[in-house]
Amino acid sequence: MRKILMMAAAVLILVFAGAAFADDVIRIGHTVSLTGGASMWGQSEARALDMLVKKINGAGGVLGKKIEFVRYDNRNDGVEAVNVARRLVSDGVVAVIGPAQSGNAIASAPVFERAGIPMVVTTATNPYVTIDQRSGKVRPFAFRPCFIDPFQGTVAARFAVTDLGAKKGAILYDVGSDYGQWLAKYFEEAFVEKGGTIVAKEAFRTDELDYRAQLGKMKDLAPDVIFIPTSQKEAAMAAKQARDLGIGAVLLGTDNWGSPDLIELGGSAIDGGYFVNLADLADPDIQDFVAEYKAAFGEEPVLPNPVMAQDALIMIVEGLKKAGTTDGAKLADALANLKDIKVTSGPLTINPEDHNPLDKPAVIQQVDVANKTFKFVKKYFSVE
Amino acid sequence: MFLQTLITGLSIGGIYALMAVGYSLVFSVLNFSNFAHGAVIMLGAYVGLALATKFSLGFGLVLAGSIAGAGIIAVLNERLAYSSLRRRKAPSLYLMISAMGCAVFLENLVYATIGSRFYAFPEFFGRQVISIGRSSVSLLDVGAFLFALAAILGLHLFITRTRTGIAIRAGVSDMTMCSLMGVDLDRLISIVFLLAGGFAGVAGVFLGIKYLVYPTMGWVTNKAYIAAVIGGLGSLPGALAGGLVLGVVETFVSSYVSSVMRDVFSFTLLIAFLVWRPNGLLGQDSEEKV
Repeated sequence: MRKILMMAAAVLILVFAGAAFADDVIRIGHTVSLTGGASMWGQSEARALDMLVKKINGAGGVLGKKIEFVRYDNRNDGVEAVNVARRLVSDGVVAVIGPAQSGNAIASAPVFERAGIPMVVTTATNPYVTIDQRSGKVRPFAFRPCFIDPFQGTVAARFAVTDLGAKKGAILYDVGSDYGQWLAKYFEEAFVEKGGTIVAKEAFRTDELDYRAQLGKMKDLAPDVIFIPTSQKEAAMAAKQARDLGIGAVLLGTDNWGSPDLIELGGSAIDGGYFVNLADLADPDIQDFVAEYKAAFGEEPVLPNPVMAQDALIMIVEGLKKAGTTDGAKLADALANLKDIKVTSGPLTINPEDHNPLDKPAVIQQVDVANKTFKFVKKYFSVE
Repeated sequence: MFLQTLITGLSIGGIYALMAVGYSLVFSVLNFSNFAHGAVIMLGAYVGLALATKFSLGFGLVLAGSIAGAGIIAVLNERLAYSSLRRRKAPSLYLMISAMGCAVFLENLVYATIGSRFYAFPEFFGRQVISIGRSSVSLLDVGAFLFALAAILGLHLFITRTRTGIAIRAGVSDMTMCSLMGVDLDRLISIVFLLAGGFAGVAGVFLGIKYLVYPTMGWVTNKAYIAAVIGGLGSLPGALAGGLVLGVVETFVSSYVSSVMRDVFSFTLLIAFLVWRPNGLLGQDSEEKV
């Protein structure tokens, strides 16, 4: 009995000590894929955040307090992402960075909303991350520093029609992913609007490996371009299988392609493919960041996540400064009204109507397998 | 499109058949479904990948190394997870549960040690394509298909023509009697697992080259299992037939019905066979042995 009492006392002391300690730090949650298919980006994202927070804390922190991350691995899995969100809420964080993937972000948003904790996602580009799909109203606690999919899909379609001269388009997408499904829709709409025709729109299920049945169907229709809004893994396999079937169409992808893995996995089959990205290593705006990251970790950051995560952190820091408090509702209000702040990727203004940035451009990159890089092709600020 | 669909279906079916052989071999002797087979295929792929990338070996040596590696892993798997159950004459359900545990264990072992990254094999054959009329098929697919046929034929000859093969077939029909006649059962079962593992190694390398290498790649063996059931669990020609039938049916469903409906179709086929024709197309009577 005495032993139990003593242990209880020890636990209580630790809890109080912890609470006392927590008073002089600001705890910010980070929900990120450190393992699983998106771990390359997730790990790079975590490194970039650690690098930046060191600088912020070195300069005195925010509101006179140091920032501390509470980081959990969501394994790029919807169920796990919700578990992580609940855990972050019970840990008492004042704001959250992530998740990076639209499906996980959409699943996590209601949890943070009920708890009144602002969430700033990193690269989740689906419109319904910040807009409630049922009510059509903006989610008061969800924000992002990246462009959204209608813009991305339109950029891809416009590039295909005007720059590649494509008339017949085909789409291969993952029917189990919010990201892929919506991008397929936005691309199709914009491609048709620009005067092209979609000759085939084929789906596969998440985790499927073989797309040759779908691609074989496309082959007879001879599309000029195949739009593949998937992650680097599926894109690489689709590219290999398309070339095996003798399909010569230009392959076109989205920001989920942008990992060195794409070249490693896709090999010669993916060479010459184009994709839309949020950031480019050659972008003059991020050269300082790239150099700093290389000096710290001995390798290049896996874009775009590290840049977008830093943008999210800077948004939260600026929001805290503006609100002057860690109160969730006041912080959310400050975030919604951020104007002309300087983030890693450039200037940033948030639109209070939909909590999306007003001025984030999209870049088109081309896969260059021989040199193992992505070549900068062009940059779109708008698609008007 | 019809010819292209048929060719694609056959090439997918060839790989299913290669994987189904492993299920059928073990089932024919021990009468349980070795669900750890998928994990052995995955480990075989990693062995091949290491030989190809770390030691820059050619395709032949990679394949040989992977066959040996996966064969040894399968034997160890049997020694650690099944042999004590087998000696105690545990019901085959227990062996099956142990096999599922093994699959999860091996997958997580790879997660914890190698990590969750995706890997690709070097391009052994480039991207050469053979054209048949307006259809085309990659050289790798043709090679994999022919190799699968040759390997299964070789195994068939081994089982029907050699002394060890005859012992295995004797074990299939009556294990107790077989051991009374002086056959070393442990050795016999090790040989069965070595063979099944060898096929897992081949399947792992071809799967890895065709797709990617990652810890959960073994889940494709769900399909191989369906193929084995369609062909008749325990029958080698059945594994081949089942694999080809499933590959072709799936590809036709994807092309002419809907790609999203493909797995609904495959699993319906599995249930239909289990209900109406549990012995499959070519299987013999496979009632549970006590």
